[in-house]
Amino acid sequence: MKIAVISCIHGNYEALNVVLSDIDNQKADKIYCLGDLVGYGPHPNAVVEMIRALDIPTCQGCWDEDIVEGLNACECSYPSLLAEKRGKLAHEWTNQTIHPEGREYLAQLPLSLRDNNLCFVHGSPHNQHEYLMPEVDAFVAMERVLATGADILFCGHTHVPYVRSLDAGQLQIRLKLTDKSEKDMRFSAPLKRIVNAGSVGEPRHGRPNATYVIYDVDTDQITLREVEYDYQKTCAAIVENGLPPIFAWRLARGLEFAERADDPTHVCER
Amino acid sequence: MSNKIIAVAGPLGAGKTTWICQNFMLQAPESMLYFCPGTDSVPIDSTYMAAEYPGVQILAEGQDMERLKHVSGSETVYVEIGFHLQLSSLEAVLTSLPCTRIAILPPGMEQTEWHAWADTIAVGAASQAMLNPSQLWRSPLTGQVLDPASLDMFWYELTKGAYGQVQRAKGIFDLTDGRAFHFNFVAGLLQMETTELKLPRWLKGRPDRFSGIEVVGENLDQSAIAQTLKDCGLEDRAIAYYQQQVKDVLASGAEAA
Repeated sequence: MKIAVISCIHGNYEALNVVLSDIDNQKADKIYCLGDLVGYGPHPNAVVEMIRALDIPTCQGCWDEDIVEGLNACECSYPSLLAEKRGKLAHEWTNQTIHPEGREYLAQLPLSLRDNNLCFVHGSPHNQHEYLMPEVDAFVAMERVLATGADILFCGHTHVPYVRSLDAGQLQIRLKLTDKSEKDMRFSAPLKRIVNAGSVGEPRHGRPNATYVIYDVDTDQITLREVEYDYQKTCAAIVENGLPPIFAWRLARGLEFAERADDPTHVCER
Repeated sequence: MSNKIIAVAGPLGAGKTTWICQNFMLQAPESMLYFCPGTDSVPIDSTYMAAEYPGVQILAEGQDMERLKHVSGSETVYVEIGFHLQLSSLEAVLTSLPCTRIAILPPGMEQTEWHAWADTIAVGAASQAMLNPSQLWRSPLTGQVLDPASLDMFWYELTKGAYGQVQRAKGIFDLTDGRAFHFNFVAGLLQMETTELKLPRWLKGRPDRFSGIEVVGENLDQSAIAQTLKDCGLEDRAIAYYQQQVKDVLASGAEAA
C-alpha cells in the first residue's frame, strides 16, 4: 500500500491540483495532509474545499490554528521583524477572505493523526509551531518520535523535505533515588524515522516546485517527490488579490523565511 | 604623486572608493582630505571614510571649493567623482588647480570618456554594472534602528532583483546592538561586502548620526524599497529594550574583567 503525505499548501490551488494529479499517477492508495491549508497564498477557500471534498485526513497546522483562534504564535515563529510584519499581512488577508465554513473546518482538525505505526503532525507532536529542522539535536528528535509511540513521524512546517533515520541511539539516564543512592540505566533506542513532507504550496528548497512524500508500506520505501507546476499563475493571483508582491517573488524562487532565522533549530517551549 | 589634488573617476562599481582607501593606507592620514561631491543628504562614502580613516579630513558639500584652493604644501586631496556626475561638471575647478586625474576602470574597458579625461588609468574591479543606469535612488535613514535579520532578508531581496534590476547598492545602517554597518553590492562581483564601521555603539535611543542607502539600477520600485526598509525598523520601546540588554551585557563583561 502506498501512502502520500502532503503538507503546507498555503492557499496555492495550482500547486495542490498538480500534486494531486501526481499522487494519482503514483497510484497512492491513501493521502494524509499535515495542515497549513491557508496563509500567504491567494486561494485559501479553494484549497480548503478541495481537501474537504476529497475527505483527506488532515491535521491542523499553525496557520490553520491562527485563522481559527487569532494569531497565537510565540516569537520563535518568525525569524525577523520583517517576516513577522509580512506574516501578519498575510494573516489579516486570509482572515478576511476565508469563508465561515472553511474556518469551521479548520477549527475541528485534529492536532495529530495515527495509522498503525505512523504518526502525522504539522510541526512536532508537541506543537504545530515547533520546527523539527533536519539538524535538530538527535536527542530532541528521538524524544519527539518516542512521544508518539510511532516508528515514523511525518511532519511538515519547515517547507524543506527530508528523511532522518534515528538508529543506534543510546540513551543513558541517572536515577537519583529517595535513599540518595544513584542508579545508571541505559537504553538502546529502536530505529525511528522523521519524514518531512516539504511544502506543496510554498517550497523553501530553492526551486518553485511543489514537494510531497510517498511512503510504500509494503517495501518500507520513502520517496520525496518534487513536482513542477505553473507557479506563475499563483504569482499572478497573489498580486491580483492584493497580497504583497514580495510573496510572489519569493514563491517563484523557492524561498521562504525559516532558513534565515538566527536559531532555526530553536525548540519552542510554549 | 606631486600634485596635491587627485581626482578619481570611473564607472559604477569599478572601485574608486577602494582605490582611494588603498592610498589612504600609504600616507599619514592627517595630511589627507577627502571630498565626494554630489551626494546631497546621503553621504555614504564620506561617512564610511570618516569612520574607517578617522585622521582624514572629510570635506562637506559647500566647503569644497574654498578649501581646495587653499591646500597646504603637505596635504593631498582626493576628490571622488561619482558615476552620476558629468566629468565636465568639475572641469573649471580641476583645471584651475594642480590636479592629477585617475580613472578607475574595469578590466578590458577601452575608448571611453574616462580614457580621454584621465592622466592615468588604473584597473579596478570587474564590475558588470551598466554604464548608464537610468535610476539612482537615495534615502537618509538617520534615526532608524534596523533589525539585523530583517536587514539581511531585505538586502538579499534587493540585490537579487525583488525591487528591480539593481546594479549597485550601498548603505550605512544602525542596528539593534548599537553598531553601524556599511553594506556594499556591485552587480557581477561575487563578494558582497559588509563592514562594521569603527564607530562607538549607539545605546542612547535613536542614533543622531548619519545612516542611509543608495540604490542604482533599472525599474526600481522605490516605494517598495522604502516601505520594506521602514518595516525593518524598530519602534522606540524595542530600541530601548535591546539597548538596555547590550548595556547590561557590556556592564557584566566590564565587571568580570
